[in-house]
Amino acid sequence: MTVRRIEVRERVMERNDALARDVRARLTGIGVPAFNLVSSPGSGKTLLLERTLKDLNGEMRIAVVTGDVQTQNDADRIAQWTDSLVQAVVTGGACHLDARQVTQALEALELSTVDLLFIENVGNLVCPASWDLGETAKIVLFSVTEGEDKPLKYPKMFQEAKYVVLNKTDLLPHVPFDVDKAQAFAREVNPDLMFFQTSALSGSGMDAWYGFLRAQARQPMRVT
Amino acid sequence: MHEMSVAMEICRIAEDQVGLEALCYVREIGVVVGRNSGVEPESLRFCLEALLGNEPFRGARPTLELTSGNDLRVHYLEIDDDGPPH
Repeated sequence: MTVRRIEVRERVMERNDALARDVRARLTGIGVPAFNLVSSPGSGKTLLLERTLKDLNGEMRIAVVTGDVQTQNDADRIAQWTDSLVQAVVTGGACHLDARQVTQALEALELSTVDLLFIENVGNLVCPASWDLGETAKIVLFSVTEGEDKPLKYPKMFQEAKYVVLNKTDLLPHVPFDVDKAQAFAREVNPDLMFFQTSALSGSGMDAWYGFLRAQARQPMRVT
Repeated sequence: MHEMSVAMEICRIAEDQVGLEALCYVREIGVVVGRNSGVEPESLRFCLEALLGNEPFRGARPTLELTSGNDLRVHYLEIDDDGPPH
């Protein structure tokens, strides 16, 4: 029996990461920031985007790539507030978007007319943490109807993110949720996190969120 | 599902290394799995065993080396040039 060993030493994510580097280089080259919006299902990603698009319409052009396991429902909802800047990815069972899907989705968008890109990932606080999509930063959304300890339960996602949006704050009077404790838990796993508190339903806290997006959007379109 | 995606990518890397026709000669795949890689080792092993037990593989065995950190990579392939079957 002749047995030989081939040393491979290839990172499992290398092909994805190479595509992600290409996406990042392309977006950086034209000055378009991209935010990978991640959360568990039902935290309010789509409503946050709907409200953002509605309120900032005419001020900046925001493109959205949506990822869902099945249906284009989220893309259809968001498309009400933009003119054809939404590209839907139906993963067909996969629990996350990958850089190949984002690369393909971007082919269908006219990026030269875009000031800011959102990638609404599949609702899942585990797998999307491992997949670089070429984004500028990951933004974790979690809502006050979830537990304060979400950051401790899903530390990798909060470690990978730069920003946290605590959503559904209009429900705070009705649920036993301690905002300070949630932020402390999040900073325990990532001290550099920046926080927003929003209610995409009532509009509370959205001004700070919009201020952040204005500061991030492509320079020529920035509104001061 | 995440681990199955990772397992399929590991199989693709093996194919890149030896070619589709030679995958039946692979008898072991060594994979380094970091504790912070976001992958559950036993789930990955289960998925790999499922894939490696079917064509174009012929029962290659996954060997997982657990490490600290977030490393996740294919370390080596062991090839039996006198196979298949093995």
